[in-house]
Amino acid sequence: MTSDLALPRYGPVYRAFGVVVAVWMAVVFCFGILGPVSNLPILEHTARNLYFHVPMWFVLYAGAIAGAWHSARLLATGRAINDVRAESAWTISMAAGLAAIITGVVWSRYTWYQGTGIWWSPEPRPNMVAVQLLIGGAYFVLRGSVDEPRRRARLAAVYALFATATMPFLTYVLPRRMASLHPGAEGNPAFSQMDIAPQMRWIFYAASAGFLMLAWWMYTQRVRSRVAEIRAERLGESAPAPVAVVS
Amino acid sequence: MLQTAPSADTTIALFDTSAAQALTVQSESPSERAMLAENKLPVVLAVVLIVWAALMLLALRTDRRLARIERALDAHDSSSR
Repeated sequence: MTSDLALPRYGPVYRAFGVVVAVWMAVVFCFGILGPVSNLPILEHTARNLYFHVPMWFVLYAGAIAGAWHSARLLATGRAINDVRAESAWTISMAAGLAAIITGVVWSRYTWYQGTGIWWSPEPRPNMVAVQLLIGGAYFVLRGSVDEPRRRARLAAVYALFATATMPFLTYVLPRRMASLHPGAEGNPAFSQMDIAPQMRWIFYAASAGFLMLAWWMYTQRVRSRVAEIRAERLGESAPAPVAVVS
Repeated sequence: MLQTAPSADTTIALFDTSAAQALTVQSESPSERAMLAENKLPVVLAVVLIVWAALMLLALRTDRRLARIERALDAHDSSSR
């Protein structure tokens, strides 16, 4: 294998990890759907969405941080594998962000905005995250607009670093400075004793860990398939040109 | 043994509400007792778990396919060197 695309060996341990993730999340679904739930007004049973909506934000963050890390590594070393890893992490991150914002819209529409017909509100967090998703989406536009691989890798890496730098401000600092439906707007930690039943907390932690593991698994699949694709393309380049057949 | 629930013609139940009643008033089977508790949420769970199992089987099969492709590429690289 060419050294700039070296991957760790994904052997039996990796495959067992996939099974663990599948079973782990199945257990989370069992507890999440049937388990105890705090009986808050307006939210009622939709409080269960805590297990599925909020971990998407964690995946968004984790993916962006991993993408930024590999972007920085690419700028430092110029190894193609870091470009592949950065793009894969960024893809997972943006997919999770999209899922998070859509689930948030659906959730709020049928709880806080029930009877108002409001789908999109001046709620600061989804608005700021929409801005962040546009910034993140431009990463793919940028990649699509440059054909030369090394140039594309370096440009995308620089852009990803800037895009990640805006993330904590847009999605964490600013929403907490404004009135919001989301917990923590008063400047307190994300949830207090009042918000959720104590048993929910453990299901939530398990769900977050499960979704992060799932994201890592999907990320490695993308990395591996992209690396295989590049290697196959290089085979085509190094092979002698096919002999023209004259009939 | 006497069958308590006669095999009913469901086409009649569509038109005759009393026949539909007769269909639904059978005694609950054990699986029904489990699945219809708590606002029928266990049914949701069953559907979610089936979808999840299908997705994870696909993901695991993708893993195996990737491993095969990687082995083929490795073999090609080592033979051409």
